[in-house]
Parts: sequence; structure tokens; C-alpha cells
Amino acid sequence: MQYRQTQVMGGYWKAALCGLAVDRHGHFYAAGDSHICMFDAAGRLVRRWASARPALAVGVAVDGAVYVGEAGQIEIFDAGGKLIDTWRDQARLGRVTAIGFIGDSVLAGDAADRAIRRFERHGAFLNNIGKNNPVNGFLIPNGVLAFAVDAQGIIHAANPGKHRVERYTADGELRGHIGRFHGTDPAGFGGCCNPTNVAVADRIYVTEKAGPRAKVYDFSGQLEAVIAADVFDPNCKNMSVAVDGRGRVYVADTVKLAVHVFEQVTV
Amino acid sequence: MRRARILVVVLYTALACAQSIPYQRPVDTAPQEKTIGGGYKLPAVEKPLPRDAWLQVLDVAMLAAAMGVSVWIVLRRRSRKWLVGLAIGSLAYFGFYREGCICPIGSIQNVAVALVDPKYSIPMVVTATFFLPLVVAVFFGRAFCGGVCALGAMQELVLLRPVEVPRRLDRALGLLRYVYLGLAILVAVRPALGRDFLICRFDPFVGFFRRTGAPHMLIIGGVFLVAGMFIGRPYCRYMCPYGGLLEWCTRLARRGVTITPDKELDCGLCAEACPYGAIEKMRAVRRNCLYCARCYAACPRDGELAHAKLVQLA
Amino acid sequence: MSQDLSRRDLLRDVVRGTVLAVMGGGALFLVRKANGQVVWQVDATRCVNSRLGELGVEACNLCTTQCVVALSAVRAVNDHAKCGRCNICPAYFNITSAVDEKGYPSEKLCPRDAITRKPIGKVDPEDPANNFYEYFIDEKKCDGCGKCVMQCKEPLGLGSIVLRVRYDKCVDCNRCAIARACPKDALVRVPMALGSR
Repeated sequence: MQYRQTQVMGGYWKAALCGLAVDRHGHFYAAGDSHICMFDAAGRLVRRWASARPALAVGVAVDGAVYVGEAGQIEIFDAGGKLIDTWRDQARLGRVTAIGFIGDSVLAGDAADRAIRRFERHGAFLNNIGKNNPVNGFLIPNGVLAFAVDAQGIIHAANPGKHRVERYTADGELRGHIGRFHGTDPAGFGGCCNPTNVAVADRIYVTEKAGPRAKVYDFSGQLEAVIAADVFDPNCKNMSVAVDGRGRVYVADTVKLAVHVFEQVTV
Repeated sequence: MRRARILVVVLYTALACAQSIPYQRPVDTAPQEKTIGGGYKLPAVEKPLPRDAWLQVLDVAMLAAAMGVSVWIVLRRRSRKWLVGLAIGSLAYFGFYREGCICPIGSIQNVAVALVDPKYSIPMVVTATFFLPLVVAVFFGRAFCGGVCALGAMQELVLLRPVEVPRRLDRALGLLRYVYLGLAILVAVRPALGRDFLICRFDPFVGFFRRTGAPHMLIIGGVFLVAGMFIGRPYCRYMCPYGGLLEWCTRLARRGVTITPDKELDCGLCAEACPYGAIEKMRAVRRNCLYCARCYAACPRDGELAHAKLVQLA
Repeated sequence: MSQDLSRRDLLRDVVRGTVLAVMGGGALFLVRKANGQVVWQVDATRCVNSRLGELGVEACNLCTTQCVVALSAVRAVNDHAKCGRCNICPAYFNITSAVDEKGYPSEKLCPRDAITRKPIGKVDPEDPANNFYEYFIDEKKCDGCGKCVMQCKEPLGLGSIVLRVRYDKCVDCNRCAIARACPKDALVRVPMALGSR
């Protein structure tokens, strides 16, 4: 399986490019600096609106509401960019670096406390995910907690300190994991904390740092392809990744502040 | 597709031409004590401190004291034995214990840079180290060279059979000191990135004091030691830039070294004993005198005249 | 004759006075500029091993080879407050070496074996990956070769290990030999308060 780069979207961000998300219609959202950009499927900027604090993550719910993760809060906007609601919780939403949805509940990855929080749709806290282990959370020295939810409602969370992507249910039960450490084998995760980010559709897509690359695994943990390695700035860290329904992969270059778009090549 | 490719090219060029990317360390993400739990306490990072400031002041005090003792030994006590004792003591303290650094010779460079570069400021200890021997020289002569300078003491103690250097050659070689002085200052006052301290780099004996060193330093040191066995104090007389400065100051000295003038006993033993050419025609040539006190040791009459009033000549 | 002598003496006295005055003036000028103790220290923003952005280069070991002291006065220091406490530390392990059956790299990075690793906090007896680990550099063994510093640098690590001049070893040369050799001029003179931080 091979991928080729079809587009590079840049010039919209000045300081940081943190979160990527794709909605059901193929629109692509990027959280960076203190604003959210919305692009159409061809890569043209449709809309851009500001967030109250630097935007760290973005997720789009089934009804089209855009959830933006920030430090200490989550802001909810409608599809037109108007603010609907703000959930403030310094203890539980210290630094929200990933957003996901299971059914009616909203999941927020809190990097400050190293756990995934589950809220019901009006903001009431339900349970923690990933806290039930001796280190009391995920091991994320890289500073970002990333996860994605698949079509079956299983949460695939990157645990970089352990070099694996773990599977959890909505109640926080650990079901299994894929991946292992390896310094030279491309199928393994290298360095001290990899993979840093994860996205899931029909397969599991991950990004790594220090030798930045994006890879694709199937659900049993077999490496299917290395999407790209050389196109990213070598100093990239915590590259956000998103996948749309047609298998297009979006990867953020956090140093050059651009989004690379890859498509699968039919061999 | 073509548009996308053009877009890629344009964007890449734009990004490549951008100013140097400021790589910044992100938010501090290291796990803290609370996160690690289990009663873990952050171990303190060791921070070994340098030598206490008062010890550096002590060094300057020792320098002053040693020079005072040197003046007393050569001008009052007039004893070679005591001077050798002082030389050994200085070698031990300033040489092997303090490892020869900081020394007044090297401090020329620091002072030169401090005078020229407004951003370079010099510790007071170094200023004192530079000026003290000069001030003593203005009054009493080269007391520093006598038993205090570690480099001098080293050469002083290895001198076996001094060979007399012909006068003209001696004078000519003596000019090398000023060349070295000029070169050292020139190279030292260059802007910070090009600055080099030649005197420190080519110090002959600091490699022995430290018991380790670059090959070129040890070789230079060996050469000077071997040469010093036959030629009296070659580094001091022909290479030392500070010696050049001291020589100028000695010309103004009020009380310097004196030898016994006695018409009856112009035996010339003192002139023979002096390895540095500091006695000419039975008179002391103060600017060449390195305060070694060999002339007193050789004089058969010096003992009885030690406390007599002496006539100063030259 | 005596007049000549006294004139000569007077001249000499005058010159001596002038020279002393000049020296005094010079000394005063320098003393007014004087600072406290200054010491040599490694500037981490310039040192190749810890400077951000410099990737894919060999660790620079000039600090080891150039220092006049037998075992270099520059050592690697791990700032525990910034350390990630990772299970597989790229500064401790040689992460390009073969992986053993337990899942760890088989070789250690430090050529002098100066880094020790121990689990801290609540230790999980079953799964060693489930722990925080503390990495401690033994300064008696470290020679400042910089390999661990280069591996700990961002983005691979968190940059908690840096090269520092240790003042109980540094003889405080007038012109530091490492400073002369360093291609990035990373050895600088700083006030002691700054250098010992």
C-alpha cells in the first residue's frame, strides 16, 4: 500500500498548529493559534473564527457542533462558528489535547492529568478512562494526550511512554493494545515516547516524532504502510493526524505550520 | 492536480525563505512529584561551587606578603639561603598548589582587554595581581622576579652552570620580550570571538604544575628547563612580557639592589656569580637584576657590611 | 655634580610619581568596572549537543578532549525537574541497538556507564513499562562526551540533560581551552550566580 502527497496547506498559522478533525461531509477543521479554520474537501478556506484561548484540539460531533479543546475549558461552536457553550473545569480539563465522541457522550483528553474524561452531552462528568493503573494515567512526557474513536465505539488512545496504542471501552476498561518499542524496525515505535498522535477510521493511523513519520496499522497491529517520513521538518513533535471517510490522511507539520494531505495510491 | 502542484511549490518556497524557524521548548511536560506519587521526592541537582572568594583574596595577600619577604631578604637580610627558601615556598604555593593560575604575567592580557572592551569587566583580584608587582618594582625593583614568580623560581632552582651570554646578544634577545608583549596584547584585545590569550597558551611550566597538558606546552616547558640549566632564566630574560614592564618600572626604583663598593676589594666575585649580567664594572645594573641574591652569597665581605650604611651607585 | 644628582633624583621622583598616578588611575578605572566572581559555563543555547534545531549530527565531544584537567571539568547533568522519567530513555539506552526479548534495547549509550536507572514512585512489580524511572548521572564517571545530551535533546527527549562546567573540577583558566576550540563559542564567562544555577 502506498500513499502520495496531494496537497500542502500552509500560511494560515503563525505560532502553533495543534489539532485536526474531519466531519461527516468531508470538511476539514484545524485548531491552531487561537482560531479554528474550516476547509472544504478541495482545501479552500471556508470559514475562520477565533477561540477565547489558544486552541489545542478540535472535534466535530454528529450534529455538526465543533468542540474546541483549550487550557481549562472546552468551547462549543455551531457549524457557522458561533459560540454555543463553554465547559469550564480547571481540574478535569487542565489541557484538553484531544476530543472524541461515543454516541451521545463527549470525550476529552486531559494532558495535564493524563486521563481521558467522558462527559454526557450537556457537560456532566461521567467517568475517567485510563486512570486505572499504577502510574495513575497515561505516560505522556511529550505533553499531548491523543486518542480517536472507531465506528464500534472503541477508544484507541496513544500511550507514548509505553510505545503502544491502547484500546478502551467507554467505561474505561482496557481491552488490549497494539505496537511495541523498536529502535530500527519501522513496524515498531522508536525513541522515548512514540506514537504521539492517533486517528482511526478503517485502520489505525499514527504519527511519531524524532524521525517524524506517519504510519498506518491494521487493527491487529500489523504495519500496513509508512505514509510519509521525509516531508516533515525533523524537529516536529506531536503532529496531529486526521482521516476522512474516503481514506485521505491529514497530518500537521508543527514546525513549518502546514497541513500535509495524503491519498492512497491504487496500485 | 496541476494547481495543487503549483500550490505545493509556491508554499514550499515561501516557507523555505521564511526567517529562521524559532525552535522553542514547549510547555513543561515532565512528570512532577505529585504525578509520580509513591512518596517520591525530587532529588536536588548538585551545584558544586567554585573556590570561595576569600581564598582568591588570600592569594593576593600571599602575593603581597611574598613580595614583602623578598624585598626584606634581598635588601635587608641579603641572604641567598633565605631567597632559595622563599623560591621553593613560592613554587609550592603559586606553582603546584594554585597551578600557576592566575599570574601577573597572564593578567597583562586581562587588563589590556578590560581597558579596550567596555563589555569585559575584570575581577578586582586580577587587577591587584597585575599592579602589585609593578608598584613594588617602582620602589624596590624586581622583587617579584626574585623569589615570588613561580616560573622564575622553577628556572632559578634548575640553574647549574650558568654560561655567560655576550652583551649584545643579551640585549638583542631582550627585545623579544617586547615583541611578545605587543603580540600578546594585540591578539588579546581582538573582539570576543577572535580573542586568544597567547601568554597562557604558551606558558612554559603550567603543564608541569597541573601534571597534565597539551604536548606543545610540555615540550616548550622541557626546552626552557633544559636551557635554564645552562643559560640563566631564559624565559625571564628573553621572553617574559611582564619582565619587560618590570624593567621599565625598576628604572624608577628608589631603593634597589646594591652591592658592596670597596676600592680595596674589587675582587669581582659578585660579577662572576651573577648569571644575569646585572653587575657591570662592579656596579649593579638594576634593571637586569632578578633579585637572586647570588652576589651576596659570593661576596666575602658582605656579611660584615650587611648593616653598614652603603653607598648607592648606578 | 651634586646638583646634577639631585636634579636627576628629582626627575626620577617626578616620573615615579607620574607612573604611580597613572597606575593608580588605571587600577581605579578597572576596579570600578569590576564584577564579582566570574566563572566559565556552557551556554546550552549554543552548544551543539543541546541546541535546538541541530539534528542528525554526531555528538560533539570537544569538552572532553580539550579540557586541561585530566577528566574534563565539563560533565552532563540531568535536571530531574525536567526529566520525563521515561521507561525507554534514549540517553540511557542506545535505541538503535537490537531489542532483546524483554522489549528493551540491548545496549547502553554511555561509553563509561555513568548513568544509572531506577524505578520511582509506586512501582509495578509485574509490568516494568508501568513505572516512572529516575536517571542519575554519576559525575565521577562522566567525562562530558555529550552523547546522552544529544539524545535527550528535543524533540527526541525533553532536554533535561545538559553539559555543565563543574566548579569543584574546573581550574578556572584565564583562557579556557574548550572555549578556544568550541566551534559555536558556547563556553562563556558568566557571573557566578548565573553559572552555578
